[in-house]
Amino acid sequence: MRAHLKRGMPRHWRSLEERTPTPDLRAEGWNEFAPGAAEPMAPPADVLSRRRFLGLVGATAALAATAACSKVDRGFIVPYTKRPVEVVPGVANYYASTFQEGRRAYSVLVKTREGRPIHITGNDEHPAFKGKTSPRAMADIMRLYDPDRLRGPRIDGRPALWSEADRLLVEALRSAKATGNGVLLLTGAVLSPTRRTLIADMKSALPGLEHAAWEPAAGDAELSAARAAFGGPALVKTKIGQAKVILSLGADFLGGDDPESVAAFAAWRRPRGPGEPMNRLWALEGAMTLTGAKADRRVPVKPSQAAPLAFALARALNERGVPLPAGVQASALPQGKSQGNPLSAEEWGALLNDLRGARGEALVVCGASMPPEAHVAAHLLNAMVGGTLAQARPAEPLASLRDLDGVVRRMASGGYEAVIFWGVNPVYAFPDADRLTAAMERAPLKVWMGVIEDETSARCRIVLPEHHWLEAWGDYGDGDGVVSLQQPTVGPLYDTRQGEEVVMGWLKGLGAVPSADYHAYIQTRWRKEVYPQGSPVSFERYFEAALHDGLVRTGSGIPAALAFNGTAVEVARGPSSAAFDQGFELLLAPGYAVYDGRYANIGWLQELPDPVTKNTWGNPLSLSVADAEALGLGDGDMVKIEAGKAAMEMPILVQPGQAEGVLVLALGYGRSAGSVAAGIGVNAFKFMDAGSSSPNVRTGVRIAKTGGRRDLPITQAHHRMEGRDIVRSYTLAGYAREAAEPRPAEDLVTLYDPQKFPLHKWGMVIDQSACVGCSGCVIACQSENNIAVVGAEQVVRGREMQWIRIDRYYEGDPRRPGTVHQPMLCQQCDDAPCENVCPVNATNHSPDGLNQMAYNRCVGTRYCGNNCPYKVRRFNFFEYTAFKKDPEALAYNPEVTVRPRGVMEKCTFCIQRIEDARMRARDENRPLRDGEIVTACQAACPADAIVFGDLKDPGSRVSLLSKSDRGYKVLAELGVRPAITYLANLTNPAAGEEQA
Amino acid sequence: MKAEAVRLPEELQAPALTAGLVTSGSLDDQVLKFPAKKPPLAWYVGFAITSSIMTLGLALIGYTIATGIGVWGNTNPVFWAFDIINFVFWVGIGHAGTLISAILFLFRKRWRNAIARFAEAMTIFAVMCAGIFPLIHVGRPWVAFWLFPYPNQRAVWPNFRSPLLWDVFAVSTYFSVSLLFWYLGLLPDIASMRDRATGKIRKAVYSVLCLGWRGANSHWNHFEKAYLLLAGLATGLVLSVHSVVSFDFAVSLVPGWHMTIFPPYFVTGAIFAGFAMVLMVLIVVRETMDMKNLITAYHLDVMSRVILAMSCLMGYAYLMEGFTAWYSMNPFLHSIFKNYFMGAYWWAGWLTLACNVFIPQLFWFKKCRQSYVWMIVIALAVTTGMWFERFVIIVVSLHHDFLPASWHLYKPTLVDYGILLGSFGLFFTMVLLFARVLPVIATTEMKGILPGAQPHVVKSEE
Repeated sequence: MRAHLKRGMPRHWRSLEERTPTPDLRAEGWNEFAPGAAEPMAPPADVLSRRRFLGLVGATAALAATAACSKVDRGFIVPYTKRPVEVVPGVANYYASTFQEGRRAYSVLVKTREGRPIHITGNDEHPAFKGKTSPRAMADIMRLYDPDRLRGPRIDGRPALWSEADRLLVEALRSAKATGNGVLLLTGAVLSPTRRTLIADMKSALPGLEHAAWEPAAGDAELSAARAAFGGPALVKTKIGQAKVILSLGADFLGGDDPESVAAFAAWRRPRGPGEPMNRLWALEGAMTLTGAKADRRVPVKPSQAAPLAFALARALNERGVPLPAGVQASALPQGKSQGNPLSAEEWGALLNDLRGARGEALVVCGASMPPEAHVAAHLLNAMVGGTLAQARPAEPLASLRDLDGVVRRMASGGYEAVIFWGVNPVYAFPDADRLTAAMERAPLKVWMGVIEDETSARCRIVLPEHHWLEAWGDYGDGDGVVSLQQPTVGPLYDTRQGEEVVMGWLKGLGAVPSADYHAYIQTRWRKEVYPQGSPVSFERYFEAALHDGLVRTGSGIPAALAFNGTAVEVARGPSSAAFDQGFELLLAPGYAVYDGRYANIGWLQELPDPVTKNTWGNPLSLSVADAEALGLGDGDMVKIEAGKAAMEMPILVQPGQAEGVLVLALGYGRSAGSVAAGIGVNAFKFMDAGSSSPNVRTGVRIAKTGGRRDLPITQAHHRMEGRDIVRSYTLAGYAREAAEPRPAEDLVTLYDPQKFPLHKWGMVIDQSACVGCSGCVIACQSENNIAVVGAEQVVRGREMQWIRIDRYYEGDPRRPGTVHQPMLCQQCDDAPCENVCPVNATNHSPDGLNQMAYNRCVGTRYCGNNCPYKVRRFNFFEYTAFKKDPEALAYNPEVTVRPRGVMEKCTFCIQRIEDARMRARDENRPLRDGEIVTACQAACPADAIVFGDLKDPGSRVSLLSKSDRGYKVLAELGVRPAITYLANLTNPAAGEEQA
Repeated sequence: MKAEAVRLPEELQAPALTAGLVTSGSLDDQVLKFPAKKPPLAWYVGFAITSSIMTLGLALIGYTIATGIGVWGNTNPVFWAFDIINFVFWVGIGHAGTLISAILFLFRKRWRNAIARFAEAMTIFAVMCAGIFPLIHVGRPWVAFWLFPYPNQRAVWPNFRSPLLWDVFAVSTYFSVSLLFWYLGLLPDIASMRDRATGKIRKAVYSVLCLGWRGANSHWNHFEKAYLLLAGLATGLVLSVHSVVSFDFAVSLVPGWHMTIFPPYFVTGAIFAGFAMVLMVLIVVRETMDMKNLITAYHLDVMSRVILAMSCLMGYAYLMEGFTAWYSMNPFLHSIFKNYFMGAYWWAGWLTLACNVFIPQLFWFKKCRQSYVWMIVIALAVTTGMWFERFVIIVVSLHHDFLPASWHLYKPTLVDYGILLGSFGLFFTMVLLFARVLPVIATTEMKGILPGAQPHVVKSEE
């Protein structure tokens, strides 16, 4: 400044800055806000410019943030540099396999995602199952992921190595071979020809081996009656699809675990007009079963009365000119101690007429739990009127309870060097468990092999974990010319082995040399016995094709039908014991969901409402309406029942339609092992009489009220329709007239513009005439949509989560009610009442007609649930899913969001399947085909009662069916325009009767 | 010039609104003395009880939020139960306050001046209690703010068609207007308390709260105008809030809810229940705070009459509801009405009818309008009855709707009872606090109706 002053410039200045021109920022272009201005390209290196400072700060922050991304999610991310064969992330793979339960093998299709099975359906290649399977087969996927599964062998209760277990076992078997002592091998029914061969191999390597195949809930009477009637173990193969008239003696062939029968029956229940044929079902039964519920005429009959009644029927038919089969004299027919005919004269006449009129096309089926003489009577009737519809075929023998009793006696006398239990749980299912466990103490080595530890494994020294069937190989023959294959769909999750391979290890130890593994063993047998010799196709191709299809149709090996042996009738005269009419009769039937207890650890099945009682989580004692009134009992009242030495307390459930004097108790509950199963219900096996020829029917049972009460976890508490137009039911003869009755208007005036559906409008048709109520759809939906299980206390509160439920209504006299089933799921209403009340738009309408839920948006006001007239919305009252870890979480379908607590959820018509098909069609540049989208419930429905499709396509199956004259919409008068059309139930009562 | 002396016949003379000699000074001394005094032991006992109950309720609310709505008895199909019953109940309780302070103000009912302040405070507290329930009843309370239409990046708006959203607007408007109205009315009184306050802290607090009120003419001018305007605004809200609350039900299609009579019927019920609550609390205030000369037997008598009138209206509404149901020829509606009185919860239906229609008829008798025992019995009955009325509407209608297969009984849990109790705890805790720190009677308004305060009324002796 001073320099300038010195120059003495003659200028006026107003400030020192003005006076002193340096540094003149403007002159040097330093105006930082001038347009386009930037700092000089290379600022001096030692100066930290603003920009550089900001840059450094930014970089520091970014780096700090990056560095702060903690180790929590620093896992190993391994890309598919080598993609596993067949695995495309995000694309499902399907494998055909086979699932065995008791004497049935279901050919199934297993859906896997990224290598883990997530859903099971029937195998559509199978000629009998046609893509359907039982609810229990679908739910068994949960056993694969059960956290209770054994993860390695155990010896004396501590984890051990396989080698150690093998060594101990082989030593014991060698010593047994040397000493010639007995070794017991107790298994379930062996349906696999290869397993049978393996056991035969084992027997030849170890002559002292005693093999017993035992199915605790199969019912012994069927086989013992078959021995009498056909001279050997035999099962009756029925052709329900060809029967015009079906008479059921306590049989539950519509019980869902027989999808073949359901499909064959339902095919006859959907006539398109009064002229079309429809079958007629008569049911004489003590318990109320699904079959009885579907019957055109159902008469409650005590199990002990079924045989006298059936023989009386045979006599009456004979009197009306139907010849008795060869070797049977009319005089020889047992008279029985009939307690008067439970059928009215008019019913009796109609039944006789039906059976006589449909000779050759009539079928009599008898329930597995029924006494043997009832089975004999059914065989006799079939021989008279059944033609070729019921064919007795030789079957693999099973050990009866009496046989097992002998085994236990031998065990108690020290007759076995080792006992091996393979996939059976006798400590739970043998009636006299104390005697069995005492006897087991006498066996030096007790071995158990299975998937989940149970009551029996707890008493065994060596516990061997077996593969779940989804991890294992196998094959099954159905005696009908089809051999199906079971293949692993996932690698073993734990240190488990294929059961057969364990046995092969013993074989090796005994000196026999089987194949390297069971896969090779199967192939060896197949090469010899199944593969058509001289075929131009190589065996490898043949086997691969069989694996792909899950089965081969050999068409061979179908045994000839056995002829009815007339002397059986004489046998049937014997056991109708005098005790039969004293006290109550207790009928022990396999639990609908848990069967013989093997599924008791599967939450889905525990929470599956019994289709008749609607009870979940347990087995209350069913009591008839009249008996309940006489004893002053109501639902949930505690009683004590006594039969012989066994006595237990349990709650009761009043069951309309149940025969007077009959108590019904489901088997399979009252387990003491398993984190889900333990403590649910009572163990009904204790009531079985091991000495009886018909252990499933116990007579002379006493019942006494104890005074307590327990809330039953029932999902439907009200059973009448209260005169509301909910399930329409017509008779075949009169349905043209009944369908034309005036109904409330369906199209109400609305202020809103109608919904517009530019491309598609998804809709559904549910045929209530075909639906038998088996609840397969419920399990399929649960598996497909990751639906939570909530437990008994929550069901008592009414908070079950299933998206589809089967409403079951009784009409008429509660002693002999008419029953209808109605699958109820979200109706995807066009004018959905749930949508306009949601304050946050969490539920809204899609342009293709879906009432969609944005779970993330839901705040949980539950207003939609209140306003839903069908009450199909389910609320997550608690957190049901977040705590789920592997392995349980592996069962989830990755396509469906898992819902947190506080969120409403409901059926979406399987939107993930719709989108999947739509994307597929778009990829292939073609329109969607009708029938391409199959919802999970539809896929599972054995009766084919559910049809899904596009209502905008006039030619689609759903469009055509929705215009049926049986079609109507439930609660249409509310004006909500549901997208589901129900087809009215049809019954076909005998001429002259009019029954709802 | 002297005004012509007018002597009205005795029965047409306005009743005396105070008893004994009340002067402006004595009024101030009587009403504004409380903050300076130590509360009596009874107050402490009362406060201990109510605040413990309130704490219990708050703890149970915390438990609910931590665990899930499942700890309540709500179920499918009874998705709403105590949560919404309590909400409607408390919103209703609030209505009496607004009616007294706003509508009666506009109608120049001068007897209201003595009770308006307290009634209005009860409105605020009742709406606070009510406001808790919609918030905690949602499944995910931490996202309940999604009900408010705030601009957001997702461009997602609430559903303006949903009555719940209308509720949000109605209740929040109601609360804000009631609070403003109440606070505005308090200003001159707080200023008086400031002037009287001796403690340093008290002085400071009242100084801040009175917003610099100096009693200037311009202040009074603005005050009167604002008060009138807010009274006008609040009047509309008295009618609208409970109408909107009733839309939650009336707009749905649940049988028993889907009724056009609901808006007036709900408003009537709200005033009914609110008056009963005010009556009860005022009896206690009158006795314990020694205000018999200000809240006179006349006040209690008038309120009893209002309750009687409302009870008759309720009876009429019930009759009309039943008639509509019968006339509708709707089988669902028929069935639900039968259910109200003959179903599993028949006792709730009859209790409602007895408490709301039959028992208040006792107020026809002057003796009942003058006896504390009878007034409290009847007011308690009305409070109970109105709670159960909502129980009948909500639970009983929901548990038996369209499809009999989904019918299910509702059983409340201990948590339900605890939270209901807790809301009463909160309400009375607030009432107790209010009674000690703010003037329970609007002294400025009272001064306007003291004898001689109205110069245009000629009380001529000539």
